[in-house]
Amino acid sequence: MQMHKVEFEPLKMRRVAVVMLGSMLWGVSLFAAQGTQEAPSLDAIGPPRMLSDQITHFVADSVAQTAGQPEWIVERRACEGCPPRSVGRALFQTTVVNVFYGLANLIRGQVTAKVTPKTWWANMEQGWVWDLDDFVVNQIGHPYQGNNYFNTGRANGLSFYESAAVAAFGSSTWEYFGETNHASLNDFINTTLGGIALGEMFHRTAWLVRDTRATGRGRLWREIGATALDPITGVNRFMRGDSSRVTDKPADMVPSNLTAFGSAGVLWRGTQDNDFTADAQAFVEVDAVYGDPDKGHSRTAYDAFAMKLRFGGGSALSEARVRGRLLGQPISNGAVQFSVVQSYDFQKNDAYATGSQSFEGAFGFTQNLSSTTRFWMLGWAGLTVLGAIDSLPLGLTEVPEEEETGDAGQGVSEGPRFYDYGPGSDFGVTAIFSRNDRPFATIFYEGRHLFSLDGVRANHFLQRGRVDLLLPLHGAFGVGVTGEYFDRRTFYQDAAATRVNYHYPQVRVYFTWRLS
Amino acid sequence: MRRARALLSMHTWVRGLWLLALAPGIAFAQAAPQTPPSQPAGGISRAWFVAGGAFATLRGDCQECEEDFPYRHSGAVLVDGGYRVNARMDVGAEVFWMAIDTSQGTIRTTHLDAVAQFRPWASHGFFLKGGAGMAFVRNWVDTLSPDSFNQKGLSVIIGGGWVVRPTARLGMQFFATQHALALGDLQASQGLINDVIGNRWSVGAAVVIR
Repeated sequence: MQMHKVEFEPLKMRRVAVVMLGSMLWGVSLFAAQGTQEAPSLDAIGPPRMLSDQITHFVADSVAQTAGQPEWIVERRACEGCPPRSVGRALFQTTVVNVFYGLANLIRGQVTAKVTPKTWWANMEQGWVWDLDDFVVNQIGHPYQGNNYFNTGRANGLSFYESAAVAAFGSSTWEYFGETNHASLNDFINTTLGGIALGEMFHRTAWLVRDTRATGRGRLWREIGATALDPITGVNRFMRGDSSRVTDKPADMVPSNLTAFGSAGVLWRGTQDNDFTADAQAFVEVDAVYGDPDKGHSRTAYDAFAMKLRFGGGSALSEARVRGRLLGQPISNGAVQFSVVQSYDFQKNDAYATGSQSFEGAFGFTQNLSSTTRFWMLGWAGLTVLGAIDSLPLGLTEVPEEEETGDAGQGVSEGPRFYDYGPGSDFGVTAIFSRNDRPFATIFYEGRHLFSLDGVRANHFLQRGRVDLLLPLHGAFGVGVTGEYFDRRTFYQDAAATRVNYHYPQVRVYFTWRLS
Repeated sequence: MRRARALLSMHTWVRGLWLLALAPGIAFAQAAPQTPPSQPAGGISRAWFVAGGAFATLRGDCQECEEDFPYRHSGAVLVDGGYRVNARMDVGAEVFWMAIDTSQGTIRTTHLDAVAQFRPWASHGFFLKGGAGMAFVRNWVDTLSPDSFNQKGLSVIIGGGWVVRPTARLGMQFFATQHALALGDLQASQGLINDVIGNRWSVGAAVVIR
């Protein structure tokens, strides 16, 4: 098996870090404004080595500790630059995160934050319910909160899967004990699964920003920047003094590859009644691919992931997507790549809103068309654990004005809620043509079926098709144009089996620049 | 909407207690090979199998209902089969089955979930469990309407417990879990019942084979 050392140009890395940091900070501030309630080895194809296995090994070693043993082993670190392992501290910090969110809600005057043992017992007696909160709170706010729970695990030396359990622990304890609202099933799923996806993405992105070999002011600012992305890990590093220790980065936090693009432009969106809105909407977007999702034997979760964030274009944050590889397996001597993927999706603009938590199996195929031109095709199918889509009950054509009742208290959502929740399935295919590792054409199609369990009595079938064309101009700069078509069919389960079709064409024109 | 409460029958209590009592007996009646706690893999297969019983309480509800629906109690059985990822984590599928006798018939509920069970401390028995899948309800009668329903929906499970002899080939676990059954809307003869969701709390014991 070939080992290869990966190095990144500092300038490019810095550019990627700054843009991703800026984008995410903006995003985080938007979430706050919305008022949420609530190496591997450097060799990406190296043998699987789980962090927990390494730790078991090191703990066993520490029993027979000798005077010559490195200090980091005694400190229960899996590597010199890794955090010390402590499950108890992770669970405690998860509880601290819950207390922090609870106090923040209390300070903001939310009646749902006035928890007592009586409300805890009432929540336990009632069990899970569907809640009536705002779409953004449920689909972005809760996943962001879950990312904090997840990273209490990562910040304390736990593996990805162990941290996933910590996210579930934090989410369930928040739902039962953090609010007077009854425990919400949709919140639990979104906080846990969304928290895992966003959490590992933020955690790895924050490690891109850190330079653990540097010292002085530059090092400090990088640590602060990383803390903005992953506050839990950052605070732990400052508290432990790791923020100034000179070590290597943990090997599994160094990607085998990194590609990132920024783009800024305008878009026009239409509906079935009006082909395109008159006014163009400005947007800024960041797309990144971490690692090599198209190759490698991998058992390290998220050693490869793709991320897209779009700000503007019909909403403050109009799109967030994270696709993280949980498992990668080459087939037929690497001609085909099989992957198991976790996906987090969020889209909200002035025309429609949709979001989901899902798992897919994907088959990828790469073909070199020439010495510089490459074609990569990926097909996937999977299960949507919980999806959300805006909807209207039969007989309504638009969302009615909300009536202020004012007697429920701040933070209590009384509904009605104009979006549906349900599980389902999804599938899709994408083809990417690239020249010198720079994509110049992308074709994308995705279909998703949602069976509504909460909301209107209906099945939804969502389809999205997209074509991107990118033209390099000079150096890292280029221009692009994208045509997108979002189609939604709602099959109401009424006596007449009413079927309603919505479609939203979209055109985007933008400048693009390569960050890495 | 008609409200009818089924009395808790004596034999459901007996069945639940019997299942609880039976499971430890099976475990302790057999000798298990000893392995050092810090040896996650040594000599133990990658298979993970759990079978046992529980005493469970089920309560159905719906978002806009004003009824105070009853808690119904009965025995339940569960079977898990899967893969031991490492010394701390097992993943697999779980079938959880429960039948409840009511005055109008027997409601049968089955959960088929993908589950993961995680022990934070490898040498200790404490574990957390979570998963999701599908729930099936057969012959749902008595509470929501006079009709009988067969319905399927989303199932979510969370729980925790303690494994005795966590690293041995044969062990025993005591657990407490909560299942949610999100069944969607039910079209009953007297109208549409919106957003039906059930909750089930269970405590039990099971044999663990690795």
